[in-house]
Parts: sequence; C-alpha cells; structure tokens
Amino acid sequence: MSAIARTLSWAIRIGCTVHVIHNNVYELCETSGESMLPTLHYTGDFVHANKLARRGRNCEIGDVIIASKPTDPEQRVCKRITGMPGDYIIVDPTTADCAMIKVPDGHVWVTGDNLTHSLDSRSYGPLAMGLIKGKVFGVSNGLNFRAI
Amino acid sequence: MRGTVLWALSWAPVAISVNQTIGQLTWVRGSSMRPSLNPDSSLGAHDLLVLKKYGLRKPGGIVKGDVLVFRSPMDAERVMVKRVLGTAGDTVRPRPTSTYPKKQVKIPANHVWLEGDNVHSIDSNTFGPVSTGLVIGKAVQVIYPFSRWGQVSAGGREDAVVQPTEYK
Repeated sequence: MSAIARTLSWAIRIGCTVHVIHNNVYELCETSGESMLPTLHYTGDFVHANKLARRGRNCEIGDVIIASKPTDPEQRVCKRITGMPGDYIIVDPTTADCAMIKVPDGHVWVTGDNLTHSLDSRSYGPLAMGLIKGKVFGVSNGLNFRAI
Repeated sequence: MRGTVLWALSWAPVAISVNQTIGQLTWVRGSSMRPSLNPDSSLGAHDLLVLKKYGLRKPGGIVKGDVLVFRSPMDAERVMVKRVLGTAGDTVRPRPTSTYPKKQVKIPANHVWLEGDNVHSIDSNTFGPVSTGLVIGKAVQVIYPFSRWGQVSAGGREDAVVQPTEYK
C-alpha cells in the first residue's frame, strides 16, 4: 500500500473515532446567548456535555441539557429541565394567568435560567426526549472549570 | 491474530459513523404500515429496509408520501415507521375516528404529520405533529424478503391535507 493510501486510511479511521466519541460520549461546545444567565455567560463559555445522556437517559429535574430545537433541529439550545413526564407545570409564571399543562409521556419541560430572555418550552411546548443530545456537567471559561 | 483484532477495532468507528450519518438497514416490526410494509407477517418474514440518512434537512429532503423511521415522541427509546401526510405549513385533518382534540391542525415549522397506512396505528393522531429532529432516516427500499424487493409503495389517506401550504 502506498504512503498516501495508508495516510488516508488512518485519517478516515481517526476522524470517524473522533466523530463517534463526539456524538455518543463527550462533547465540548461553545455556548452563546443570554438565555442561561447567570449559569452560563452570554459569550465565551464552553460546556462539557455527557452525550451518554442522549435521549434523556438518566436526566432529572434541574439538569442542564443540550437539545435540538423542535422548530429548527439544526439549532442547538441549552436549557434546564424544570418538568418531567407527568408533572403539572404553570406554563408561564411571569404572566398573570396561571394556565397549567401536564407534561406528556416522553417529554420534558425546559426553560432558560434567564426567564425574561429565553425562548423555551413556554413558546414551543414540551420537548420530546428524543431531541436531547446530552447533559451538561461542567463549564469552562478559559482555564476556570466549574461543575454544574 | 492480535493484529487482525486491532485492525477490525480501528475500522469499527468508521462503520458506526456510516450507520449514523449515511445509511442503515433496519427490520420493520408490527403491522401499522400494512399493506405497504409487512403485508403478511403471518409467514414470519419481516421487511428489511434501507434507510437514507443524509440530505433530509435540505429543502425537499422530506416530502409528502415519504416513509420515515423516527423516535417516538412518547418514548425516545422506541423507534417507529410511519408515512408523511403533511409537512410544515399544511393544515391537516386528523383521522375522523381518532380522539385528537382538534378538528384541524396547522403543522409548525420543521414538523411533519406522520400516520400509519393501517388504521390501527399509534401515530400523529395520538401525539400530534412530530419534529423533524426525531427523524432517523427515510425508507427508500425494501430488500428482504427478496420477493418484495423494490421501492416502498405509495399509500396512506388522501384526504388528510385540507389546505396545502401557500409558500411552496
């Protein structure tokens, strides 16, 4: 086998290994936006995501998760789980009417920590667990690490 | 011997990546897509499908009549196969016999209305429009049993869409 073919073959194998780990085990990704203030800064924070928690495995109330946005799956959102299947939720505690809904099976209720600047379950409804990509266990900003 | 094992292990991630992003084979269980899939499972033969996984997010990647394999919104560990009867912007009428709370549903952006060809099917008539983020792949070909080799046939209710979207 020529040197070029051997290099290419290794490049494919290493690239795919990184891809599989990135998709299924662990991912470090940058977050932006003010919806998770004060937990996450609006710029420059990197979150460590445990991708074994994909599809809501072992996710509990209070966990910060990364998910595909239901109305645009290309976009990722980072929110906190504030309701589990079967829970009764007040849709929007910032308004006067206290409309309640029951979170359906296989769904979670997610909201940003910064309720006034967050597009979350209050607008797109309960999030199907199949859209959850991972659970955030830590945040890095520069060399500072803080657990969540 | 040790070299062979290492060689196989080093290619495993490549196989997994191809399965997760390009295409995959999957068996169909259940009768909810009868007669298009598993027309007669009394013989014990389930259909084996080829799934296409790339290019589904592009415009025209998922259109009416496509058969999709997706994660159930009711249980993320469960995988279902149903047909697209309405895409984003369409107004859909749920199956008349269903208990869906609305008479007409407008499909939100990046959602689809999915129904089994068989009336006895748990589908969008139960859980409503499904986000395309839950889609695993599009069924393009039946490859087993060999007597059924060919594209997935057309089917499904024809009166589902009341008002198609205008901006297409």
